[in-house]
Amino acid sequence: MTDSRPSSTRPAPDWNALSDDEFRRAAAEFFGTHVPPHLRFLSRRPRWAEVRDWYLTMSRHGWLVPAWPVEHGGMGLSQSKVLIYMEELERSGAPRVMDQGLMNLGPVLIARGTDEQRRRFLPSILSGEHTWCQGYSEPNAGSDLASLRTEARIEGDQFVINGQKIWTSVAFDANHMFALVRTDKTVKKQAGISFVMIDLRQSGVTVRPIRNIAGHEELCEVFLDDVRAPVSNLVGELNGGWQVAKTLLGFERIWSGSPRQSTLALLRLQKLAQASGRMDDPVFRDRYTQVTMDVLDAASAYERFAQLMRTGGSFGFEVSMLKIWATETCQRVTELMVDAAGDLGGLSGDVDVAGEAMDILYPFLDCRAFTIYGGSSQVQRNILVKNVLDLPS
Amino acid sequence: MTPDPQELDMLRDSAADVVARRGDLKRLRERRGTLPGFDPAQLQQMVELGWLGILVPEAQGGLGLGLTGMATVLQALGRGLMADPLPPVALGTRVLCHATGWSGAAERLALVAQGRGLPVVAWQEGLGGIDPAAIAMQALPDGDGWRLSGRKRFVAGAAAAAGYIVSARRGDGAALFWVDAQAPGLTLTQEWRADQTPSGLLGLQGVHVGAAQCIADSLAPLHPALDEAAVLASAEMLGVIEAALQMALAYMRTRVQFGRPIGSFQALQHKAADLYVQQELLRAVLQDALRSFDGGDDRTAQALVASRCKARASDAGLRVTREVIQLHGAIGYTDEHDAGLYLKRALVLAAWLGNAGAHRTRFAALQDEAAAV
Repeated sequence: MTDSRPSSTRPAPDWNALSDDEFRRAAAEFFGTHVPPHLRFLSRRPRWAEVRDWYLTMSRHGWLVPAWPVEHGGMGLSQSKVLIYMEELERSGAPRVMDQGLMNLGPVLIARGTDEQRRRFLPSILSGEHTWCQGYSEPNAGSDLASLRTEARIEGDQFVINGQKIWTSVAFDANHMFALVRTDKTVKKQAGISFVMIDLRQSGVTVRPIRNIAGHEELCEVFLDDVRAPVSNLVGELNGGWQVAKTLLGFERIWSGSPRQSTLALLRLQKLAQASGRMDDPVFRDRYTQVTMDVLDAASAYERFAQLMRTGGSFGFEVSMLKIWATETCQRVTELMVDAAGDLGGLSGDVDVAGEAMDILYPFLDCRAFTIYGGSSQVQRNILVKNVLDLPS
Repeated sequence: MTPDPQELDMLRDSAADVVARRGDLKRLRERRGTLPGFDPAQLQQMVELGWLGILVPEAQGGLGLGLTGMATVLQALGRGLMADPLPPVALGTRVLCHATGWSGAAERLALVAQGRGLPVVAWQEGLGGIDPAAIAMQALPDGDGWRLSGRKRFVAGAAAAAGYIVSARRGDGAALFWVDAQAPGLTLTQEWRADQTPSGLLGLQGVHVGAAQCIADSLAPLHPALDEAAVLASAEMLGVIEAALQMALAYMRTRVQFGRPIGSFQALQHKAADLYVQQELLRAVLQDALRSFDGGDDRTAQALVASRCKARASDAGLRVTREVIQLHGAIGYTDEHDAGLYLKRALVLAAWLGNAGAHRTRFAALQDEAAAV
């Protein structure tokens, strides 16, 4: 196996040999020392050019990918330590980086890719040379993802791809896309989909940003017009993309069901409440305590699944409850924040709260998306209803 | 001291077996409004199965299976609405376990494990919610002992008790005493809980207790025991939720309206999914709480997770059992239907040892204390 870590790193320490507390201290120290101060607690998603150095710093020190195995350049952390990593990353106020390769494609290649694909793509993720976006949704394939129509036909040893993807996060900073494409129109819709990796640095690719309600341009439309990818960029079987995507949705559902966003939102609420003196108001305090417990309960639920993973147990569709609870809890926290802000809750952008600049509305607006992407709350409920509660259709 | 999974499986299986073979909601209805508020034959069976010794350390003749062991049994029994009188006796047992300075503790615990002489805690007077210090009961010096006067309220399981662990003011502080159920000057009357099981009112008029009956010179043993019992009540609530939701789901699969099973309607499906989320949240918090207690976390962490657990249990239990009525429609509103039995048990468990609001308030106070340190 090729060592895909950049050559300047020392051998990776055995993080799992540390106690959780020791690891938490190590993580706090790393992020505390290395996150550039001007990038902390941004109220927007920064561009790749702004965070690239920070990304490379993490990579150089071997702190970029907590969950990948060590042999692929990850930290090989147990689930509980991944959670601690995430908590300390959030606590430090570190900016979000280009993470589709780290969070999604990497695990998929490790689980379903070929040795050749792992050799070609994993080191380029670690080095920041390849930045990835996820090409799933289409204008007419949102919650009903399997009805996607972007088509890939095989010409010789190449896919020729035509269609349109939408809601693609930060596609303008990505030079690669992993996408679900239709490779067979004659079969049941799930059975004719393939998972393909596409180099976006070619003619025929058009990226157009979409402005969201928070005023930011993260989401994009991506038009693919006779775009080519070698057949060796197929992950899994031809027409087996739905299965590959489901592996990935599994990762994503755990990730998007983690308590990190609601924990961060709660920290913001706490800061606002302390600055504005609302903590002494018993009515507010009760509501604050309620959402605090909701966030901690989300963490308990996350830990339950994480522990199942650690101990080699398996779980299925019941994991959908995590995403429902974590994202809806996050929204409740931000709603309480707007409420607690009173008149300030009607002001946009950074506002002065007892001498401190805070953007009250950004978390509220931002997290509207959480219950929509990665399978909306309603889709998650449908999944529970059909697969766990065994109710008739 | 977490018991091994095989032991837990055995406990779960035997409790499930008891529910399957002895569960009888008709007889539960017949017992409503009568004393002692549980089935004495079932208590005898619990004794024979060793369940009263689950929380008693092995050194005192118990099984020493910890909170996790008892929670496993209570969750299974909760499904059949058959947990009483285990929860209140568990509270008494844990107070005795924490009363390490009391010379009588070992003997009393041995009796508990044998099912003879059940201890019940009389700690509330209806004055201050779940603050154990909110008491007016007086202990005045009397010969070599004390004389207790006052009232106690919300004494669950009182009719099963061989004796009461009574909290009282003594001088500047407070203390815990063992009071025999037959002690002269002690009277027991009942209020009736939502599920028509009794809730004891104790009257103590100059009840004499000897020096050896002083369990502790403070309320200290009470605090961890109340947290542990709150977690155990949450375990029973989880069983109640599981059974109620299962009943509703079965109904949704078979009840036909508008030519379709009502379980095919998305409005009801998503309601059921939300109830499932609550059930699984409680399962997760309960697991965290049990790990905290059986794994020996520090007291502040235990208190915080116990309050979080009981708050979730109370909220989730009431929400699920209310919505189960709604999912059944008019039939769920009748006394004849079992849905109401689950709602009423949820009402009892939600209120006992502090409801969600009480535990939120306590949680906030604990957080402030922790932040001040």
